[in-house]
Amino acid sequence: MSRPVSIIGGCVVGGFAALGVYAHVGSAVSHTANAASKAACAVWQSAVSSEALYGTQVTALSDLRALALECAEANWDGYGAAAIDELAVRNAEDVLFALPPGIPMPDLAPEPNGGVSLEWFRSRNQMFSISVNRGLRLAYAWLDGSDRGHAVARFDQRVIPAGILEGIKRIILDDSGVRAA
Amino acid sequence: MTLESGLPEVVSDDENLARFLFSGRFYKAARVLSAAFMPNPNDHETSISRKDAEPAEELWRLAPAAAPGRSLHGAAVFKARVAREARLEVVADEPPPRHAVIRGWFWDEADPDLQRARQKEAAQVIASGSEFIPFPMSVSDLHFT
Repeated sequence: MSRPVSIIGGCVVGGFAALGVYAHVGSAVSHTANAASKAACAVWQSAVSSEALYGTQVTALSDLRALALECAEANWDGYGAAAIDELAVRNAEDVLFALPPGIPMPDLAPEPNGGVSLEWFRSRNQMFSISVNRGLRLAYAWLDGSDRGHAVARFDQRVIPAGILEGIKRIILDDSGVRAA
Repeated sequence: MTLESGLPEVVSDDENLARFLFSGRFYKAARVLSAAFMPNPNDHETSISRKDAEPAEELWRLAPAAAPGRSLHGAAVFKARVAREARLEVVADEPPPRHAVIRGWFWDEADPDLQRARQKEAAQVIASGSEFIPFPMSVSDLHFT
């Protein structure tokens, strides 16, 4: 069963590294833990808000938080979708943070099962998508002209799996290695 | 054999189908994202409507039956053949009138990640063959190949 996204004083998700542990609050927490969580949340927000630290990731993370809020209740799509899953949002955050410099931020979308979709698009027939869910196995698929396929790769929350990174680059970079417009 | 809506029971390859979009998260500019076509986890299907040659207004009139009370953002319109190219089935599913479903999505509870990867690949095929029509632009202005 999906768990709704925690919302603490406007800090919706906190997912990565040690701060994430404190930036999330379950259903039964002490006053002290709650205060610690709020403090961690503030630090996290401050860090994430720093363009110098994270560049375009700030925009993507902000968009992810907005998406989590919009889809926090079941049936957000009108067709009976599950509520967006907090763990999926945290994992999606980690994927965004792990993207190396030079890789543009993807388009984010919720999925009916409560997961988060990350999609890179170059043209009508060239796209790469990752489906991020509760676990650390990332489902991904690509469409590149007449070539298409899918696979699953384990994510260690720090480094994007090589197969995924190569796939993204193949879609978004042209033959000379320059990012496509 | 025809259905109550007057449409044939079998959905032809050349029929235009519409996936109503009730979330602004399923499209970027004029592009429909693949997530818009992923199957519902409960019935394992993607709900669609059959778009005939009727005026665009008729298409929008079908939307409330798909999701009562929801605000409509637009529709992803594609040919039935596109979904079949992704090895999915398109079948009529009335009532409500003109309702149909995409089914045949790969399902494997033992490996949900592989399941999603395969579904994603199929959803990308449909997305690549879809046009986003913002509500209330005229559907008849578009030409599907």
